[in-house]
Amino acid sequence: MAEEVVDVLVIGAGAAGAAFAWSLADTRMRIVCLEQGDWMNPLDYPSTRTSWDGERFGAFGLSPNGRGRREDYPVNDRESPIQVSNFNAVGGSTILYAAHFPRFHPSDFRVRSLDSVALDWPIDYATLAPWYDVNARMMGVAGLAGDPAYPPKEPPLPPVPLGVLGETLARGFNRLGWHWWPSDSAIATREHAGRAPCINLGPCLLGCAQGAKGSTDVTYWPAAIRAGVELRTHCRVREITVDARGMADGVIYYDAEGRERRQRAEIVVLACNGVGTPRLLLHSRSAAFPDGLANRSGLVGKNLMFHPYGMVTGIFPEPLEGYKGPTGCCIISQEFYETDASRGFLRGYSFEMVRGMGPVSTALLAMTTGRVDWGAGHHAAYQEMWDRTAGMVVICEDLPEECNTVTLDPELVDADGIPAPRITYRLSENSQRMLAHGVARGRDVLEAAGAVDTFTDAPLRPAGWHLMGTARMGTDPETSVVNDWGRCHDVKNLFIVDGSVFVTSAAVNPTNTIQALALHSADAIKRNLANLFD
Amino acid sequence: MSGANFDDRERAALRALLDTLVPPGADGRMPGAGELGLAETIEEKLGALRPLVGRGLAELDERARARGGESFAALAPDERAAVVAEHSAGDPAFVPGLLFQAYVHYYQHDRVVAALGLEPRPPHPLGYALAQPDLDALLAPVRAGPKRYREA
Repeated sequence: MAEEVVDVLVIGAGAAGAAFAWSLADTRMRIVCLEQGDWMNPLDYPSTRTSWDGERFGAFGLSPNGRGRREDYPVNDRESPIQVSNFNAVGGSTILYAAHFPRFHPSDFRVRSLDSVALDWPIDYATLAPWYDVNARMMGVAGLAGDPAYPPKEPPLPPVPLGVLGETLARGFNRLGWHWWPSDSAIATREHAGRAPCINLGPCLLGCAQGAKGSTDVTYWPAAIRAGVELRTHCRVREITVDARGMADGVIYYDAEGRERRQRAEIVVLACNGVGTPRLLLHSRSAAFPDGLANRSGLVGKNLMFHPYGMVTGIFPEPLEGYKGPTGCCIISQEFYETDASRGFLRGYSFEMVRGMGPVSTALLAMTTGRVDWGAGHHAAYQEMWDRTAGMVVICEDLPEECNTVTLDPELVDADGIPAPRITYRLSENSQRMLAHGVARGRDVLEAAGAVDTFTDAPLRPAGWHLMGTARMGTDPETSVVNDWGRCHDVKNLFIVDGSVFVTSAAVNPTNTIQALALHSADAIKRNLANLFD
Repeated sequence: MSGANFDDRERAALRALLDTLVPPGADGRMPGAGELGLAETIEEKLGALRPLVGRGLAELDERARARGGESFAALAPDERAAVVAEHSAGDPAFVPGLLFQAYVHYYQHDRVVAALGLEPRPPHPLGYALAQPDLDALLAPVRAGPKRYREA
């Protein structure tokens, strides 16, 4: 029997792959998605157990290197001050993300023109605006219209409650006269598209047992599957293959039993995030592409951007109910977002408030910062911190640098023997100055809000959630990997729709923009079907 | 000596050590870590580290005997604390490693959670109520401020 050739093969069922597959399902083409992880069962998430707060240090930890799941792949991030914190399952890293869901600013697409650094994007805010709107409906975005930091937008759901903690910090910003706004959050604050409303469980970063958080296993995937997309789990792709013309003709993957399989396709779409995508391209070598597939520019795996994070924590005299409510979705400040060269750095950063500290995490924070010791004084010192800490993170824009890379590790492999990615990364001087500025201003906010003491941690090592830039888009094949709708310059039936294609990183969580770009790419494919490979 | 499981003497030392690290609160509200049965739970979690911890517990007993005590567990609370501090000076990794496990299991125990003023239950399925302040009033100064983005 002849091998089946599907029309479109999507690799990766996370934020981007889900949005892309759902959109392209309109075409009624035969679409198959291969995902190395499995479906998650929300009733298995830690918030269903009294041990929830301690489980963030084990099987639900941030780093794939510490979780011990076969579905994950290891990452050698020893040569980076920031560790990769991704997750592999249907839903990808949206399973454990905070669902903080801001858009990019218009200026984020014109970095070179406005600030004479990095590069401009080949698209602008207006290109993505309609796709941000579609994504807001599909992911269920809660927020409040009227934010002076953005062009007009209308989140479809009411904002997440601020609670005591959010109100306390908001008053701190007001005392300083600084910008803040209720966060745009991919969290159903009322029933939305069959999803139950948020009940303020707290530990969003451990998965949402309520199903209120917009992870793509509960948003795009049910709709995409109803529309005819086939999703195969426990399928780990080893390499993308090419035909004699240098066009992608399918993939070789390992199934749940570790058996080698082949899937042929007319179009191959990569949606594996800013580390997984260059890993797979670099591992897909052939006579036509000896340096990795679609890598004639030499830029695959280069220009890796994280967002350098700083954590600023304040201790307050009164209880804050900080263990309640979405962890990372409360309020945002973009007082220092746009460039002001007098600050000593270019570009800027956001502040995001953090909650979700339970009794265990409070104790461990107290221990690691040396603020609570063991012995006779333990309880009195602990009581000064329990439910009295408020955190905020500084999220700095990272600029692309070719020295920050994803390469293939010569020794480390995943459970199927595929080489693991190796991260080589350092913070630029601009990032370091920006981070120092943000941490100092964060202390100002907490003190203005009434904190009696503050402490900081920067750069925050576990904060490698945002993986961007390693196969960037552009109009020139010499300086970019894909065009302005995700088609590889070198392989015209190969598309990349994840954070790899980012030209710059902005200073906000990228998932909303990743998905808006995936919808934009799918739309462009639909509009160009007649001459897709020209 | 430590084998697959701690013997009675080692368990007694571990319970006493837990009570030394997190003793009962002076007002009687917070229980000590040793009285919550955490020693058995922590022992199960130690895995390959069990022999290492067993050696540390044996050293605490030796230090207790050097002070004229029968064992670490038999010392008065103040003397135990002094022994642990003395031991930590020579082995700075022993206490922090055990403290991590002690805090994780102590601060998720029902009695402790209740003593902190929380209901001893998982967050799901009941969740929590969370107040939304008057956003119009709170945001008034922000709305009155300038536009915060650049046209591009």
